[in-house]
Formats: sequence, C-alpha cells, structure tokens
Amino acid sequence: MSCHSIRPLLPARAEELTVFEARARAEHVATCTRCATEAAAYSRLGQALAVMANLEVEPADGTLEEVLVAIGRRRTAVTNPRVLAAAGASGALVATVVVARAVHHRRQTRRHPVRRRPVSSRLRLPSLPVPTPALARAK
Amino acid sequence: MEVDRELVEAAQAGDRWALEELVRRTHRSVYTCALRLVGNPDDAADVTQDVYLRVVRKLGGFRHEASFSTWLNRVTTNVAMSTLKRRARRFAVEGAAVPAETRDPAPEPSERAEAVALARRLELLVAGLPEGQRQVLVLRDVYGQSTEEVANAMGLTPGAVKVRLFRARERLKAELEAAEGGQVVALAGRRRATGRRSR
Repeated sequence: MSCHSIRPLLPARAEELTVFEARARAEHVATCTRCATEAAAYSRLGQALAVMANLEVEPADGTLEEVLVAIGRRRTAVTNPRVLAAAGASGALVATVVVARAVHHRRQTRRHPVRRRPVSSRLRLPSLPVPTPALARAK
Repeated sequence: MEVDRELVEAAQAGDRWALEELVRRTHRSVYTCALRLVGNPDDAADVTQDVYLRVVRKLGGFRHEASFSTWLNRVTTNVAMSTLKRRARRFAVEGAAVPAETRDPAPEPSERAEAVALARRLELLVAGLPEGQRQVLVLRDVYGQSTEEVANAMGLTPGAVKVRLFRARERLKAELEAAEGGQVVALAGRRRATGRRSR
C-alpha cells in the first residue's frame, strides 16, 4: 500500500486497528523509512503520554482542607443526632398524614358509596345518524 | 497513586480517619485529572470536591472489581464531564491549564528520566489542545480508558472519538516537533518508557 493510504493508520495504537490494518501498516513500515520514523515517533509519544498519568499537579493551597471540611460536613449531616431526629420526626409526620387521609377516605366511601355505572352504559358509542336518502338530500 | 485495599475497606466500614487518609493520598491525582479535563484550576478544585462528595456516597457500593484508582478515575471523569455540560461554557485553553509545577508521586528510575522529561513538556502542549481533542486524548492516552469508555463519558460515538483522537495525536506530535525543533523520535530517546497503565 502507498504512504498516502498508510498515513491515517500511523497515529493509531495496535489495538485500535483491525487485523487487516495492522498487517498493512506493519508491512509498509518495514519497507518505508519515512513512515517507519513517523510510526516510531507516535509510539514514543504514546509512551510519554502514558507517563503523564503518574505526574501530578499540586493543587492550590487549601484545596485539600476544603475537601476534608466538605466531606466532614456531609458525614456530620448524616450522623448528627439532631439531624437524624429531625428527619425521623418529619417522616413520622408524613406517615401520620398519609394514614389519616386513607382512613378518612375509607369512611367517606362507606358512608357515600360511589355508584358505578354499568359497563355497557360507559362504553356506549354515540348514536350516529343512519344515512338515508332523505338525510342525503337535506345535506 | 498508591492506595491499600485495607485502607479502602476501612473507609467503607465508616472509619473516618481512613476516609481522610484516602483523600490525602489521592487528591493530587484527582485534581490533576480534573485539571486536564476541565482546563481551569478553579473548576478543577470544584470538581475535586464534588468527586469526594460522590465518593462518600458511593464508596459503600465499590466492590473492588477494579482497582480503587481506576474507579476513582472514572468517578473523576464523570464528575468533570457533568460539570462541563452543566456549565455549558468553554474555557480559554491557552494558559489556563498550564500547571505551575508538576511532581512525581514516587522517585522515577533513571532509565525513565527522558520519558518523564518529555511527559512534562507534553503537559503544556496537551493543555493547549482544543477542548474536545484534549479530553479525548487525556482519557484515552493518559488514563488508558477504552474508546468505548471515552465515548460513553463524553456522549460521543466511538467513531467520533477515533477522529478526535487522530487529530489530537497528529497535532500534538506536530506541536512538539515545532516546539523542540526536531523529531519526537530524537526527543523521546532510545529507551522505551515503562509507565504503568491502568486499563
């Protein structure tokens, strides 16, 4: 294959190529010094980029402390007895209201049962005018 | 970023000291990853804080199927991408993500010195890439995520990731050659780097 065809494959890692592409690149690079140099450059670039994962940037002063305070605040919010008590009281109140409404609804239903219409009346289709010669003339 | 399994398990069990120690050991790595993705020191600090708040919430569900650092990297990636989408604004790349100083978490063997030196120079050039290209390159080539993982994190198709990756590598190599006035081959040295990759 020509350099023009192989060039798009040079920056790719081996695992990013199909078997056909990998073979074509290897065969071409073995015979073309220029593309071999390019491929080697990309390979070493990849290795250097991988090394970057082990380089760390020092954050600004106070970043660590802010993180520790934030997670401490969150943990405190979850484990603080006052917060837990407030959450429990809110939950109990909500549960009471829900139960009271359910009981009230049940009593109302017993006193005034809802009369349900028969299925046939609910599903009845609107009556359409029967096409007759007189109706056609009227239109 | 060295994290003992025992330390993670202690933090999972609710040991407050263990959790804080976990943050102390990993916060530089998280901040660095965030900075490379969002390209802005202030936002990287915000992302770092959000990452640990999410870690506190999700740590109980971590099953040690992957290494903790890999899991933490994924959390960082997701939080950084969410932040970028939420704010929906572009950061000025030039000069924004240039770190004042980089440091190695552990002493490097002498045979890796050249690769480390090149990586330090690359840090500046990577920061100058267009945002979309930079994020793809950082996730794929620096942190070793698969093309599919990068596509999921960024909401792209794998094909779009490959296109951006190709352009980013091509551009980075050209800029490195221009900056150094020579071939990457000569700069990188003859020795192969032995950098650990997390897959």
